[in-house]
Amino acid sequence: MAASVRSASATGRSSAVSSSATRATRDAKRLGGQRRAVLALAAIVPLLILWYVLTSVTHTVSPGRFPSPHDVYQAALQISHGNGYAGGTMSRQVWQSSKLVLMGFAVASGVGVPLGLLMGWSRRAEALINPAFLLLRPIPPLAWIPLAILWFGLGDGAKIFVIWFAAFVPAVINSHTGVRNLDPTLIAAARVHGASPPQIVRHVLIPGALPMIFTGLRLSLQASWTTLVAAELVGAILGLGHVLIVASLDIYPGMILYAMIWVGIMGAAMTKALGVVEKRVIPWRS
Amino acid sequence: MFRNVKRAFRRSDQEVLALDDVSFEVGEKEFVAIVGPSGCGKTTLLRMAAGLDFPSAGSVLVGAHEVAGPGPDRAVVFQQFALFPWKTVEENIGFGLRCRGTPSDARAAIVARYVELMGLQGYERAYPQQLSGGMQQRVAIARSYALDPDVLLMDEPFGALDAQTRVVMQEELIKLCRVNPRTALFITHSVEEAVYLADRVVVMTRSPGRIREILDIASVRRREAWEKLEHVEEVMDLESFVHLRTRIWRMLREQQEGAAVPGVPAQPA
Repeated sequence: MAASVRSASATGRSSAVSSSATRATRDAKRLGGQRRAVLALAAIVPLLILWYVLTSVTHTVSPGRFPSPHDVYQAALQISHGNGYAGGTMSRQVWQSSKLVLMGFAVASGVGVPLGLLMGWSRRAEALINPAFLLLRPIPPLAWIPLAILWFGLGDGAKIFVIWFAAFVPAVINSHTGVRNLDPTLIAAARVHGASPPQIVRHVLIPGALPMIFTGLRLSLQASWTTLVAAELVGAILGLGHVLIVASLDIYPGMILYAMIWVGIMGAAMTKALGVVEKRVIPWRS
Repeated sequence: MFRNVKRAFRRSDQEVLALDDVSFEVGEKEFVAIVGPSGCGKTTLLRMAAGLDFPSAGSVLVGAHEVAGPGPDRAVVFQQFALFPWKTVEENIGFGLRCRGTPSDARAAIVARYVELMGLQGYERAYPQQLSGGMQQRVAIARSYALDPDVLLMDEPFGALDAQTRVVMQEELIKLCRVNPRTALFITHSVEEAVYLADRVVVMTRSPGRIREILDIASVRRREAWEKLEHVEEVMDLESFVHLRTRIWRMLREQQEGAAVPGVPAQPA
């Protein structure tokens, strides 16, 4: 494995010399991706082996405390077939959770980003909104769950509301900072070249704040996931958090771990998807 | 253009006079450079012409009108280029035209002309960060020129470039101005640059910023035929150039020495 990494970097170096500068940087990036994949496997594979050995070969860890790979496999089989487990198959559970996360996240960023931009652009809007925002901010999103259940019951509404609250805060703060950190010379440059205020917003403010906006969106997405799973733990009829709590009541470690693995996979996949969108939207940051 | 301009700033409850009684005019298609020590208010003057800052007293006029705010008739080239990182070279050059509502085919033609004039062919779709400092400033100059402004305002445009690039850019600017004469106000702290580029040089003093003297370079340039020489260093070797440069240096130096004795009236040498 180490040998292949070394030879890959060697070809990278020689191609950097032979080809044009842009080709070389592209090659270097691709090799970086390969190398990263190798390293990732190098970290994960031994852990999986260790897991298997400790639970299934030496039996150092009792299956009651931590499930063996076989337990997880059994749980996966059970929840994938027929009525599944805890109200549905894994695909339905995952879909339910993802749907709520995406809806809460969409509403939160749809409201939060424009609000943050507005606060960055207008001192008056900032003076108006910031105090209320500062008061609401320290309340942990999960503290809204009881109220949300009172308002919306145990259905999707309550969860979307709580996710909205959790994801809203980072979206606002980072969009606001994005505008605030904008180089004032760029705004001056737009003005002296004839840009009207709406043109400044469109051509300078929004693209200039985009890197920070995406930082905010990433944090929002993470907060959405965390909050959703927690909200489903408290009360739900379907969803990954619901699977976790039911499996815990059933003392079913294999299912708990399987659901946790899906929480991890979906969270990572969404963050990755957001990263892909970010690269598309911000092509100048290479 | 500038009529008895004063500008005071408030710094921690103290009024600091940055500019005092500055009056001068830039003629039609004339290239005027302002030199002075840092803190003499030369950038403030330029910002006032651009409409990004306003005098505390006196008035700044462009044509017959007092400057009320920024406008595309007075495009600015900034020291730090101030290109939009999210726009390509083409989009940056065409920015002002786009804001003005120029139809896209006409815009493309103008952009293409300035891409060629500034030697940016092949980089139309590059982003500013992929270019060297000199290239970036070419883009910024093209962006301002593309608007066909009445007045071109340049705030130490070559200050952030390395010495060699700077010389190349000075020569290019001279050529550009010859092809495309423009009323221009140029701020610099480089005496050589001012003498090389300008028709007239305004020498300023510090705290408060006042005009020390205005030197006529154009007549010397014409008399000594500087235009015939292609390169900066050849012009800089000429006795007439050295003479002017030394005069300005002497003025700037005597300010530094005279700074300890406030109120000494500055007499023309």
